[in-house]
Amino acid sequence: MTELLQNLLLGLLLGGVYALAASGLTLIFGVMRVINIAHGAFLILASFITYWLWDAFGIDPLLAIVITTPIVFALGWVTYKVVVSPIRTAPMASTVLLTFGLALVVEGAMGEIWGNNSTAVRPSYADESFIFGGLFLPKAQVYGGLIAVVVLVLLWGVLTKTWLGRAIRAAATNPSSAELVGIKVSAVAALVFALGIAAAGAGGAITGVLYPFVPGSHYQWIARLLAIVVLGGLGSLNGAVLGALIFGIAETLTAAYVSPSWATAVPYAIVFLVLLIRPQGLLGTRLREDAVAA
Amino acid sequence: MALTGVLALGLAACGGDDSEGGGGDSSGPIRIGSSLPLTGEFSQPGQAAKQGYEVWQEMVNDAGGLLGREVELVVKDDASNQNTVVTDYNALISQDKVDLLLGTFSSLLNLPASAVAEKNQMLYVEPAGGSPDMFNRGFKYLFFTQQATSNLQGKVFAEWVAALPEDQRPKTAAYPTLDDPFAAPNVAGIQEILEAAGVETVYQETYAIDTKNFDTIVNAMKNADPDLVVHGAQFEDGIGLTRSMLKADFTPGMFYETNAPSFGAQYSDGIGMENTEGVIYAVSHSPEADTPGNAEFVAKYKEMFGTDEVPEDAADGYAAAQVMQAAVEAVGNIDDQEAMASWLRENEVDTILGSLSWDETGAPTGEFLIGQWQNGKPEIVLPADVSTADIEPGWHPGAGG
Repeated sequence: MTELLQNLLLGLLLGGVYALAASGLTLIFGVMRVINIAHGAFLILASFITYWLWDAFGIDPLLAIVITTPIVFALGWVTYKVVVSPIRTAPMASTVLLTFGLALVVEGAMGEIWGNNSTAVRPSYADESFIFGGLFLPKAQVYGGLIAVVVLVLLWGVLTKTWLGRAIRAAATNPSSAELVGIKVSAVAALVFALGIAAAGAGGAITGVLYPFVPGSHYQWIARLLAIVVLGGLGSLNGAVLGALIFGIAETLTAAYVSPSWATAVPYAIVFLVLLIRPQGLLGTRLREDAVAA
Repeated sequence: MALTGVLALGLAACGGDDSEGGGGDSSGPIRIGSSLPLTGEFSQPGQAAKQGYEVWQEMVNDAGGLLGREVELVVKDDASNQNTVVTDYNALISQDKVDLLLGTFSSLLNLPASAVAEKNQMLYVEPAGGSPDMFNRGFKYLFFTQQATSNLQGKVFAEWVAALPEDQRPKTAAYPTLDDPFAAPNVAGIQEILEAAGVETVYQETYAIDTKNFDTIVNAMKNADPDLVVHGAQFEDGIGLTRSMLKADFTPGMFYETNAPSFGAQYSDGIGMENTEGVIYAVSHSPEADTPGNAEFVAKYKEMFGTDEVPEDAADGYAAAQVMQAAVEAVGNIDDQEAMASWLRENEVDTILGSLSWDETGAPTGEFLIGQWQNGKPEIVLPADVSTADIEPGWHPGAGG
């Protein structure tokens, strides 16, 4: 029983970080129908920025989120204006190709700046755990999970409780009508893209503390993140959180009770099964066929 | 007949005289092609191997070239991808028209890449691809230039454990292993010897190459409570699993890990210098080793790359190039690559890794060095005749550095 509880807790903590990293990806798709293949690359970029702040200035990597996230937000905004905006209304396949190319460019830039060596961010608490009742909870994962919850609640609050959130939802639902009521859809799109990248940035700051990384690590992340948002329902923030928790728990329980060699495969099998039954994902809705892209 | 490196060096010295008689019909540089994982998951060793090739290139050119001709490296990036590496070697042969090939890094990439070389009947000397699966395909042109295939890499360590007095010998062992053609046979080779010595296996699992989170594996190992952990790792997973062991306060009495601990400062940065004390690993090269040309290689590496730390993978790359060089100079031209392969099968070559020789399949026939982190630095502890320090049983995280 203790072992099951231990594995469930480890799975939930893992899922919490996955949720933060995936939330931006689903947000960007939900509003602008762009599948951002470069999302994992921005996540690793945030890990490298976190490493730089920690190594050069001694800033605690998790507290550095308040610096890392705005930096990555700004990079996301510039990326949207320069790269994504010109093809936003192009077919979805074009945006996939474009963002894949963008991921390669970001990977190359990270290699040039920081080198292709494996990098680890290890604050003093990185390898310590809270231990009680025979259970261990890694401190970095607990702190990271708490930060993920705070950021996700803030993101959820912005989307549901503010004028900006209503504007974002209006722009996502029907861009033409949103323009008619005074919402600058292109400005909202830039903001959403930057917000989405910033969420990946916060996730990257946490994952950088949890796992070593190289510029090429983004391939593993984008594969997981895409599976998570598809499982939850593309475009649904709640779905991304639910999908991430299921993914984290499935990965952990498979490693514990089936075999670690199946741990990265079984969650994808779950995605496959869910999509067979519910093609739009757990909390997703079918795309509006009448929506006109701005 | 066994020719040594002395003969190889002698041939090198008179190589210039041979160039008229062989070396193709070009008087320009000899072009040597390789594809390496300069980006992607294996970028770490790939970059180091490239540095090793570059040190060799510069040293050979400074000494008058190969067969009296300048050497020019043509290196492509396979991005750690099996498909790209095949494309790269095909392009090196058919478009770049290189004269000679050097291998890529890791068994995963060398498996398909060596097949391209074999099909084109070109000598393929690889610095890092020790899976036994490399050598059961009947290839004639393939040679691996470390001391032993991966299933024998930990043999010296396992035999040492098996020979320990009973009260010091671990009674139980755990074997977490990366699902990789290099790591899995490596651990299996150790496990076979330890089980024969009565060390009970209490945990044995393989994990996928894209595994990020090791907490669950470590939790299961902790519950099994082994005296010894033998971890089959590349690099990142070596860091990841060790850090998870520390988080779970699971510190077995003895800890052996493949590959990762030989990465010097990157390893100690990754797990924390204080946690390295006592970690044991197999390694092919020691910068302090008294092997022919090693001091010159180490000095040149430090001069070219401005660092005091010489990666093992750079040394492996350099040694592969040394072996290729010896074969070319022994044959006296760059055209008869079948003769080069035949020569390598019949002769020993002195390298910075020591004297290397091969069986019919191109697999090396030597023994690996065993290293151990002691007082914040890596030492060679086995075999005893080349050791720089005595081996100390026990892993003592928190005490190192």
